[in-house]
Amino acid sequence: MGADHVPNETVRAENADSPFNPLCTRRQVLIWGGVSIAGLSALSPALVQAAVRPLVIMENAEGVVVADPVVCVGCGRCELACTEFNDGRAAPSLARIKVDRNLNFGSRGAMAWREGHGNLGDGLIVQDLCKQCPHPVPCANMCPEHAIVVSPVHKARAIDPEKCTGCGICLRACPWEMISYDPDSRKATKCDLCRGKPKCVEACPAGSLRYVSWRDLTGTTPPRNPTTAVLPPQRALNCVECHLPGQWANLGQASAMMRQAFGGGRSASSGGIGFSWIDMAGAVLVPLAAAGALLHAVLRKVRKR
Amino acid sequence: MKRTYLHPLPLRIWHWIQAGIVIILIGTGIYLRMHGIAALRPHDPVLLWHTRTGLAMVVSTIFWFAYTVWSGNLRRHYGLGRRDLRGMFAQAGYYLVTIFTGAENPFRATADDKYNPLQKIAYDAVMFVFLPVLGVTGLLFLDIPAVRRYLLAQNLVGLVGAVHVFFSYMVVLFLIVHLYMTTLGDTVFSHTKAMILGYEETDHGAEEET
Repeated sequence: MGADHVPNETVRAENADSPFNPLCTRRQVLIWGGVSIAGLSALSPALVQAAVRPLVIMENAEGVVVADPVVCVGCGRCELACTEFNDGRAAPSLARIKVDRNLNFGSRGAMAWREGHGNLGDGLIVQDLCKQCPHPVPCANMCPEHAIVVSPVHKARAIDPEKCTGCGICLRACPWEMISYDPDSRKATKCDLCRGKPKCVEACPAGSLRYVSWRDLTGTTPPRNPTTAVLPPQRALNCVECHLPGQWANLGQASAMMRQAFGGGRSASSGGIGFSWIDMAGAVLVPLAAAGALLHAVLRKVRKR
Repeated sequence: MKRTYLHPLPLRIWHWIQAGIVIILIGTGIYLRMHGIAALRPHDPVLLWHTRTGLAMVVSTIFWFAYTVWSGNLRRHYGLGRRDLRGMFAQAGYYLVTIFTGAENPFRATADDKYNPLQKIAYDAVMFVFLPVLGVTGLLFLDIPAVRRYLLAQNLVGLVGAVHVFFSYMVVLFLIVHLYMTTLGDTVFSHTKAMILGYEETDHGAEEET
């Protein structure tokens, strides 16, 4: 190692008879400062990625069981086959296909059963099946344990029994009431397409059930039991990456921040959504242009007199 | 009194159709933006109307491009030359300073040279940047399965949405300035009348220009 390995500026700085005797030159400070700023800003997405992120299912399922209620005779063999394969016992209340609860009460199903009448008339048989919802998957979104995952086989939304704590939140999250609670194992159960070969389809004697490839019908068939879109805040933070937040939410957030800044009211919720730079641009530029035009007009009027 | 034929009939019809489309798009767009796309159902009627009107906008803009190229207006009215660069400052000075002293507009529109340098820049930006970008980003959001998969895989949904929203703010900005500028003619409605009837009527400057 010799002096020729050391940059000239450093040599000069070390040899200078200055009272400071700086460790590095101003140029080096600027260069390394710039490099570290650039490096940190390049690294920050990775740091964000490294934080624990809630699971968000984006892939669509590849298969789904569909039912033709017209040919169904209501024998209930699908329910038996389902629980026999998945639970090792015959328990229609646990079945992932629901026929019994709708039997003779029309398409309102369990709701009508409580009142004693179906809304399309009594005496109908309607099968309820897991729709293998596309994103946002309601049950998976609400699961606090991230226990509802995409199964490797045909991308079914399946419950991971290792993670499920049996809290029952998914039962309330599903708009179709398709998730059951097994009191014996204390876990929730839902249709996972029986590893690609649904037993209900194989058991149906009337040919009412078919296993078909999944197709997105969102928008063509309105949901029967629409629920309000409520997301846990941590998950909502993730959604902002794709869904730009609405301005009402932004305004609420801003006003909450203002209230907090002036020492009153409740504090802004952490993990919420803030103004994005685009809306800042719009919120500044558009009123500015309107005000400019107004000022221009007023000035013209005044100067004309 | 001098009458100059400025706007041919196809362009006048196109202009007012486009105006209606833009107003519908801005109205529905503000609704969608205020509520946030995440809170809306895919079959929300406002969303459907925004999509349909957007498609109409794409068709209408493509018509404008075809007409402008075919009629030679592209070179005549939209090319920025050295002369425009010089005239730009005079025009800006007029709008910012001398308009208040009652000075003449340094630019007079003729059939062969319709737009002043600042107008050219604004219209070039809108027609060649804002609307194409809005059209392309809007079409990307049409939920075509392959495009949808690509956008999700590349994590581009947020970026495309941000670009769409940003340029729509730019269009709103343009619209405000555009609407105000239309009132700066010889009378308040003389530019608007020209866009309806085709002829711009001017009271003065007839002698020196003939």
